[in-house]
Amino acid sequence: MVDRTASAVSVERLMHEIADDLRGERRERALERGGPAEYRDPEIFAAVERVLRRAVESRNLDASLIPALLEDEEDSRLQTHLRFSSHRPLAGSVIVFVKRRILLPVTRWLYEYSLENFRRQQQINRVLFACLEELAIENARLERLVKEQSGPR
Amino acid sequence: MKLACVIHRFGADIAGGSEAHCRGVAERLAEHHDVTILTTCARNHITWQNEYPAGSSKVGGLPVRRFPVARTRSLHQFVEISEIVFSGAASEAEQERWFRENGPEAPELLVFLERHGAEYDWILFWSFRYYQTFFGLPLVADRAVLVPTAEEDPLIRARILGRFFALPAGFVFLTPEEQKLVAARAPHPLAPSCVIGSGLEPVRHPPAALAAGLGIPTPFVLYLGRIDPNKGCETLLRHFMKHQATATRTVSLVLAGPANMPIPDHPSIRCLGFVDETVREALLSNASLLIVPSRYESLSIVLLEAWNHGVPALVNGRCSVLKGQAIRANGALYYENFDEFSRALGVLLDRPDLARQLGQQGLAYVDSQYRWPLVMEKLESFLGSLSHPGPRR
Repeated sequence: MVDRTASAVSVERLMHEIADDLRGERRERALERGGPAEYRDPEIFAAVERVLRRAVESRNLDASLIPALLEDEEDSRLQTHLRFSSHRPLAGSVIVFVKRRILLPVTRWLYEYSLENFRRQQQINRVLFACLEELAIENARLERLVKEQSGPR
Repeated sequence: MKLACVIHRFGADIAGGSEAHCRGVAERLAEHHDVTILTTCARNHITWQNEYPAGSSKVGGLPVRRFPVARTRSLHQFVEISEIVFSGAASEAEQERWFRENGPEAPELLVFLERHGAEYDWILFWSFRYYQTFFGLPLVADRAVLVPTAEEDPLIRARILGRFFALPAGFVFLTPEEQKLVAARAPHPLAPSCVIGSGLEPVRHPPAALAAGLGIPTPFVLYLGRIDPNKGCETLLRHFMKHQATATRTVSLVLAGPANMPIPDHPSIRCLGFVDETVREALLSNASLLIVPSRYESLSIVLLEAWNHGVPALVNGRCSVLKGQAIRANGALYYENFDEFSRALGVLLDRPDLARQLGQQGLAYVDSQYRWPLVMEKLESFLGSLSHPGPRR
C-alpha cells in the first residue's frame, strides 16, 4: 500500500521541474558554444523550444502539408524498398528471377546496411517538414495578430 | 455463453504479451462460460514452424483446437514487403500481402471459422497484425470482438486498416491510449469498446534474495524482456553508457532476457540472457528501478510487474502508452531525450525516499486497476452489454 504518511508525489509536477532545469542548462550550453544572442533572453529560448518541440513531439508527421505541395508527392519519400521488374516482354521473367534470386542475395548486406541509414534520413526529413510547417503556422498566427492590432486601414 | 478465443499461438510455455493476456483472460472466462481456444500449431513466433500437433487438446484445463501453419515465414520476403507497406506507398494488394507474410498462415483455421463461427456467441480475436485475425475476423464480423493490442508502430498507418477496424462488433483495449489510436484510424466512430488492461496476482511472498552466483552488483537498474533494437535497447545502452561517463554514483544496468543484438562490453552493464521465474522475481524485488525504453507498447505488463513489487520505473516518454501509465499511476518518471534520461535516472537513484514513494504509488495503482477480479468484471459487463448478433446455429 502507499505510504499515507508521505505526501503524494505528482509525476507530472516532478517532470515539469526537471524539464525547466534542463531547459536552463541547455540555454547556457548553447550560449557557451556561441549560439544565437537571442538566447540570452530565457523567454525567447523557451518560446523557440516550445515551437520546435511541438513540431517534433506533438505533430502527426504523416500529416505534413509540404509533400502535398510538391509536383509529385512521391518525390518527398526516400524509396527504401525494392520492386523487381523488367520492361522486356519475353526475357523479363528470367531477368527478374536473376535479380531476385542471384543479385539480391549477393548484395543483400549492402542493401540492409543502407536501409537503416535511409530510414534515419526519412525520419529526419519528416521532422524537418514538421518544423518548417510549425514555423509557418506560427508566422501566420503572428501576421493575423499584427493585422488585428493595427486595425482597419 | 459459448465463446472462442482466436490467437496466433498458444501454450503454457509461450511467453509474449498478447499470448499471456489471451491465456489469462480465457482461463478466467472459462470459470463461467464455455470457452475454446482456436490457434495454430506454431510455437516459434519468428518461423511459425508447426511444433504442436494439430487437432484438439487441453492446456491448463482449456480446450484448444490447433490448425497447421501452411508455410514458415520467409524473413527476407517479410522485410521486403514491410519496407513497401511502411513507406506509405503500398497498394491494397501489397498491404494484404503484408498480413499474409507476417503469418502464421493457417487457412484451415479460416475454413473452421467460416463453417462453425456462427456456433459461438462471441469470438474474441487477439492482435490485429496476425493472419488469423486479419483474415479470420471478417468471416465472423457480426460476433467478433477485437483485442487489437495496437501500438504506434508504422503498421498502424496502413490505409487498409481503416476498413478493417470498421468490422468488429466490439473492441477490448488495454489502455485509453490504444483506444484513441485505433479510433483515429477508423473511418467512422468505433463499435462499442471497453478498456480492461490486464490482471496481476498480488506478490505474496517476501522479497527473494539474489543468488550470489549471478554476480549482480548492487545497486542496479533493470531491463526485463527481449533485448532488441525494436524494444529501444540500442538507445537505452547508448544513453546509459553516456550517463555513466559523467555520473558520480556507481550503478549497474542488468539486462535480463534473450538478446537479439550485440551487447557492449562495459563494466557497468551485465547481460543475464533468459532468466527463469525465480531469478526474474528476485531481480524485480531487488532492483532500484526498472527501465522500459520501448517506443511501441499497447500496455507494458513488465511495468505493472515492477509496480506490483513496489519498484519505480523510468520509461520512454515518446511512447504515449508508457507516458500515460506513468502519469496515471504517479509511479514512473519518463524521458524523451538523453538529458531527461540522465536527470530522471539521477533523481531516482539519488533520492531513495522519492523513488520508494513512486514505487508504492505504482503498487497502489496496480491494486486499484489491475487485479484480475476487476479486469474480468469489466470484460464480463462489456460482453453482456453488446447487442447479440442472433441465435447460434
